[in-house]
Amino acid sequence: MLRILHGTSYDFIRWWRWAAGLTIAFILIGMSSLAIKAPNYSIEFTGGTLMQLEFQTPPDVGAVRTALDNAGIEGAEIQQFGTNREFTVRAQDAAHVAAQTRGAETISTQIENVLVQKFGLGRVKIVRTEAVGPRVGGELKRGAIIAILLSFLITLIYLAIRFEWRFGAAAVIATAHDIFTTIAFLKLMNLEISLTVVAGLLTVIGYSLNDTIIIFDRVRENLKKGGKAKQVDREVLNRSINETLPRSILTHATAFAATLALLLFAGEVIRPFAWVMAFGIVTGTFSSVYVAAPVLIWIERKWPRKTEARARSASSTATPTSRTRPSTATATR
Amino acid sequence: MNLKYRMLVILGLIIASVWALFPRTVVERVKRNGEFVYDTVRRVPLKRGLDLQGGMHLALEVDESKGVVANKSEAIDRALKVVRTRIDQFGVSEPVVQKAGNDRIIVELPGIDDPRRAQDVVQKSAFLEFQITDKTQALDKALPRLDALLKGKSVAVAAVPGLKKDTTPAGLSSLFTADTSKAKDSAKKDTTKTDTTVALGGPGAFSKLLTRGGIPGEYFVAQTDFDVMARYLGMPEVQAILPPGKAVRWGADTTSIGAKIYRGLYVLDAKAIMTGEHVTDAKPNTTPIEGNVVEFQMDNEGARRFRTETGRHIKDYMAIVLDQRVMGRPPVIQGAIGTRGQITMGGKDLQAAQDLALVLRAGSLPVPLKVAEIRNIGASLGRDSIQHGITAGLIAVALVVIIMLGYYRFSGLLAVLGLTLYMLYTLAALAGFSAVLTLPGLAGFVLSIGIAVDANVLIFERIREELDRGKTVRTAIDEGFRHAMSAIIDSNVSTALTAAVLYQYGTGPVRGFAVTLLAGIAASMITSIFVVRTFYMIWLSRARDAQTLSI
Repeated sequence: MLRILHGTSYDFIRWWRWAAGLTIAFILIGMSSLAIKAPNYSIEFTGGTLMQLEFQTPPDVGAVRTALDNAGIEGAEIQQFGTNREFTVRAQDAAHVAAQTRGAETISTQIENVLVQKFGLGRVKIVRTEAVGPRVGGELKRGAIIAILLSFLITLIYLAIRFEWRFGAAAVIATAHDIFTTIAFLKLMNLEISLTVVAGLLTVIGYSLNDTIIIFDRVRENLKKGGKAKQVDREVLNRSINETLPRSILTHATAFAATLALLLFAGEVIRPFAWVMAFGIVTGTFSSVYVAAPVLIWIERKWPRKTEARARSASSTATPTSRTRPSTATATR
Repeated sequence: MNLKYRMLVILGLIIASVWALFPRTVVERVKRNGEFVYDTVRRVPLKRGLDLQGGMHLALEVDESKGVVANKSEAIDRALKVVRTRIDQFGVSEPVVQKAGNDRIIVELPGIDDPRRAQDVVQKSAFLEFQITDKTQALDKALPRLDALLKGKSVAVAAVPGLKKDTTPAGLSSLFTADTSKAKDSAKKDTTKTDTTVALGGPGAFSKLLTRGGIPGEYFVAQTDFDVMARYLGMPEVQAILPPGKAVRWGADTTSIGAKIYRGLYVLDAKAIMTGEHVTDAKPNTTPIEGNVVEFQMDNEGARRFRTETGRHIKDYMAIVLDQRVMGRPPVIQGAIGTRGQITMGGKDLQAAQDLALVLRAGSLPVPLKVAEIRNIGASLGRDSIQHGITAGLIAVALVVIIMLGYYRFSGLLAVLGLTLYMLYTLAALAGFSAVLTLPGLAGFVLSIGIAVDANVLIFERIREELDRGKTVRTAIDEGFRHAMSAIIDSNVSTALTAAVLYQYGTGPVRGFAVTLLAGIAASMITSIFVVRTFYMIWLSRARDAQTLSI
C-alpha cells in the first residue's frame, strides 16, 4: 500500500496568523492594483468588437496598427494571440458599436476591409468576430454578479440544512475569500475577465466548497464520535484536516493534472479559464484549511453552542448536529 | 441489491449510453454544389455549439433610435416570424431562430461561410418606405446655423488625434460656381437634366461638403467626404438643428459626376406616404436600362392607399427608401400609381437583387432590429478547438490514470474502469438531453475527469482507514462506502447547485459548461458509488476469502 502523509498530526491551525497575513497581503496587493487600474474586462461585459485574425505570414504589428488608425478606428487594441500569425483586434467603444451595428457597415466589416486592403485578399483571415452592444454587456455583468451572490445564498442555505449555520457561514466566508484572491490573481496576471472566466470562478467556488465540506464532514463526524460531542476547537479541526490529508493530496493532484492538460493543450481561447482553475485549486485548498477552519473556531467562540440546561429548554428547535453537551470535555483521542 | 441486478443495471446503462452515442442516420440540410438539399447523414448525435463547429450567433433587439415601440414583446414576436421565414429561404442547415427574454431574437446559423451576407439578410429591416422629397429647401435654411455650429466644433474635433483634418477637401466648393438661385430654378424646370449639380456657396464646414442635386431635396457629397459628413450627421448637436419634420437619408449607391464619385444625400418628408407592409410578392429581374431591379407587387389595400397618396403628390418626387437608404434616384410621380413598383439596384449584382427580393417576400420587419451581439466563429477555428480539447482530454485522462493506478493499484484500476464509464455516461447524457457541447463545456468535461475521481479517492481513503482498524476486507469495503457517502453527497450537491445557478444565469457557451458540469456530477456519483461498488462485489464474489486488498 503506497501511502503519503498518512497518520500525520500536523498543527495546521497554529500557522493561521501567518496564513492570514499572507492572504490578506495578497488580496490587498490585488485590490490596490484594481484601484489603480480597472480590470481587463472582455467585450462581453464592456461592449465592443473583437476580431481574431489569422495572417498567412507573420505581419508587422505596426503596419496593422497604422492601417487601423488611418481608417479612423480609434483606440483599437492589437494583441498577439498564440502564434505570431494570429492576433486579436479589439475596438472597445461600446457607443460607437451601437451606432455602427445598425447598418451593414459594422466596425468589424470596416476593420476587415481595411486589413484586406492593406495585406491583400486571402493573406488575412477573420477566424472569429464578436460584437456586443452596451446593453447586453450590462446585462451580462449583472447576470454574473447575481449568479455569484445567488450561489452564495444557496450554498449557505444548503449547508445550514445539512450541517448547521456555523459551518455554513464559515464555508461561505472561505468561499468569499477565494473569490477575492482569484480576482486579485486575475488582476495581477492581467487576465481578461470574460464569461468563461466567470464560469471558471464559479467552478472554483464549487471546488473550494467541496474541499471545505470534506473537512467539515470529518469535523461533524469527529464531534459525534464516542458520544463526547464538544465545541469545535483547534484540536478537532487539526485532527479532521490531518485525517483528510491523503484524500486532499490525491484529489488536488488529479484535478491539477486535468487543469494542467487544459492549460497546456486546450488552446488559447480556454487558457484564461485554465489559469483561473489552476489558481482556484491552490486557493481553495488553502482557504479550506486556513480560512474556513479558523473562522469556524472564531464563530464557535463568539456564538458558543448552548449548554445543556439551555439546550433542554430549547431542545425542540435544536438541530441534530447542534445537539451539544456542556463543553467541559477537552480534546481527547 | 443483488449482485446480478447491479450488473444488469450497469449493463443497461452502458447499452443505453452506447445507443445514445451511436452514429445514426439523420436528415440534415446540407450544402451541395451551392444548393441546400435535404440529405441523410450518419453522425454521432452529439450537438456541437457554434464555437466548436463554426457559425454565427446573432442577438437582435428592437431599435428604438427611430422612435419608441409601444409593445416590444409583440413586435418581437412578429419580427421572429419574418426572420424565420427569411432564414428558411436563405438555406442553412439546422438554424436556430428563437425569442430570448421579452425583447430579443437569437439567430444561430451553424457553418455559415458568408456571415456578412447572412447578417444582411437577417437584419435587413426590408423596411420599405415611400417618402416625398422635401420641396421647401429646409436644409438650405438650416445651413448657416450648421456651419456656425461646426465652425466652433471643427477646431475641437481637429485637436483629437486620429481624426485628420485633411479628409475634408477644401477645394470642392471652388470646383463649382456657387449659384444657388439658378440651381433652384433649373431643378424646378428641368428634372431630366440629372447631372446638373451646383456646389452650395459658403465656406462653412458643413455646406462646403454639399453639392446640390437636380431634384428638390437632393444633394451630393463627394465619396471622399462621406465619412466626415456621416460623422457630422451623427452628432446630436447637428441633429438638433436639422429641419424638424424632415429626414435626411443617404442614397444607397454612388454616382460619378465628371471624374469624382458622389453619394446622394436626400432630405425627405419624415412621414412616409406608404410603407412596405403591403408588399405581397417580389422578384429580381434584369432590365436593359436600369440593370438589376426588384419588382414588387402590393395587395389590394396597399394599392388603394398607394393610389390615393400618389394622387395627392403628382409632380412631386418620391424616394423609395429601403432601410433608411434611398434606392436609386427618386422618380417623379407622373400620376397615381397602382399595385406594382420596382426598385433599382444601382450597380449591385443579381445576388443582391435576389436577397432583396427574398426579404421583401418574407415580409419586412415590423420594427427595425439592431444587432445586440454577434459571435462569428470560423469553421477552422472550431475544428482547432475540438482538436485541442480532445488532446487536452486525452492527456488529462492519461495523467489521472497514472496517478490512480500508481497510488491505489488494483482499486485504482477499478476507479479507472469507473472513469471510463463516467466519460461514456456523461457524453451519453449530453446526447440524450440533446444538450449542446460548447468549448467551455469541453473544458469543463476535461476538468471533470480530474475531479470525478474525488469520490473514489474519498471512498478508498475510508476503506484504508477501516483496514487500518483491523477490519476484514469485506467489512472495510462496506464501511468505507458508507462513511464516505455523506461527504460525497454534500460536496456533489453543493457543486450541482452552483452549476444550476450558472445554467440559469449563463448564456450560450457558459450554459453549455453548466450542462456538462451537471451531467458530469450525476455520472460521477453513479459510477463512484454504484459502479465501483459493484466492481468490488464482483471481485469479492470471485475471491471469497480475500485477506488483503490492493488499495
